[in-house]
Amino acid sequence: MLEGLYSAGAGMEAAQQQLSAVSNNISNENTPGYQAQILGFHDLLYTTDNDAPSNALVGAGAGDSTLGFSQAQGSLQQTGNPLDLALHGPGYFQVRQPDGSTGLTRNGSFQLNSRGQLTTNLGMELVPPLTLPKGTQPSQVSISSDGTVSVANQKLGQIKIVQVSAPDKLLPQGNSVYTVTTASGPAQAARGVTMQQGYLEQSNVDLNTEISQMMTAQQAYNMGSRAVQMEAQLGQIAATLK
Amino acid sequence: MDLGLNIASAGMLAEQVQEDQISNDLANASTPGFKASSAVQQSFGSLLLQNSANGQTIGSIATGVNIGKGQTDLAQGPMQQTGRPLDFAIQGAGFFAVKTANGTQYTRNGQFSVSDKGQLIDQYGDDVLSQTGAPIAVGAAGTVPTSALGVFNVTKPTQLGNNNFSGAAAGGRASGQLYSGQLEGSGIDPIQEMVQMESALNAYTAGQTTIGTISQTMQESAQSVAQVP
Repeated sequence: MLEGLYSAGAGMEAAQQQLSAVSNNISNENTPGYQAQILGFHDLLYTTDNDAPSNALVGAGAGDSTLGFSQAQGSLQQTGNPLDLALHGPGYFQVRQPDGSTGLTRNGSFQLNSRGQLTTNLGMELVPPLTLPKGTQPSQVSISSDGTVSVANQKLGQIKIVQVSAPDKLLPQGNSVYTVTTASGPAQAARGVTMQQGYLEQSNVDLNTEISQMMTAQQAYNMGSRAVQMEAQLGQIAATLK
Repeated sequence: MDLGLNIASAGMLAEQVQEDQISNDLANASTPGFKASSAVQQSFGSLLLQNSANGQTIGSIATGVNIGKGQTDLAQGPMQQTGRPLDFAIQGAGFFAVKTANGTQYTRNGQFSVSDKGQLIDQYGDDVLSQTGAPIAVGAAGTVPTSALGVFNVTKPTQLGNNNFSGAAAGGRASGQLYSGQLEGSGIDPIQEMVQMESALNAYTAGQTTIGTISQTMQESAQSVAQVP
């Protein structure tokens, strides 16, 4: 009875997820290295299993799934900070998360901790760690486009950039940090990525896309709510039969 | 029991199925490549009425409405530019093929992504197939040329859900044009759906009124037919 009530509800749920993703993207418009989340939609199963004597297939509504993260290049913003690094091309920095596991991020806003190690602005060290000589000032650090770090013309190491086969399937950990999953494939050395010192990659959120998606989701939500209303009215009419 | 009661309730059930389908259509307003479905209403067989005294035929009386097998409206949905390299849309006839655990199925929803093996997959992780039925490798730049994807002619496509249709592929590449960075929007027409929703509700209400009237008549006959004035 009244399967439509539930299918309309499922559609509203999917529209709501879309609204959440959009608002998350919009609020991260200014987060360096943030990659916009993209949702996919699908219909649900069709059955003839309702109490009306019919062969007509009736669907169970709509659902959403995470399609992945936009791989579009964010625009580069000059900051002048020598420890800011922008990635150009597909790839990630590797950082040590507080739980000891390795995370991937495109947020290249680094700083020096008390031991002279390069860390993210949340204190996560680079993997493999890169330690600068004691007393090094950020202004003395020079980082080439292939990630070679040198202080006073002395090479100290190279920042490693990695890539996975399916970046859409990375697991977001918050703070623009992702971890690899079996579906994403393991992290491998990235090719064709360059680094730019003194720049930050801005988020790749496109406000125009987000706003139009928000409006579409809102319309879908409204239509779902009309359908729920209508189904409820059918139920009411059926209940007053005499 | 009065025949009219059955006829009216059959009509109400048919309207309810229609309303359920409209709810499903509206729920999928954002589903790329979605195709709206509609129930076909057809009349039940008619009864031939005869005069019980002399056996003379009076005429036929219909016995209500039957809900036939639904139909899927395969009309082209609007093309939407997304810019996402692994979004694909077919303009015109044809379906993408995906290799599911239950055999090859067909879809118009081109929201694809890349697997850990570097192959093009759908939202459920099933491989998208080329015209020869092989998985498709995603290039190093994260793109796939549209010519790599298969576009299949499918006879009698039936909606299965999860974006997919069952059916049999008829040989050759379908005539539809493939575009990347675009999606085919949902095929529903919101205005038409809203209008149908209202009209189904009205028909449903009419059924209710009919039942009310018939039951009043029956009550009348039960109480007053045998009364001697």
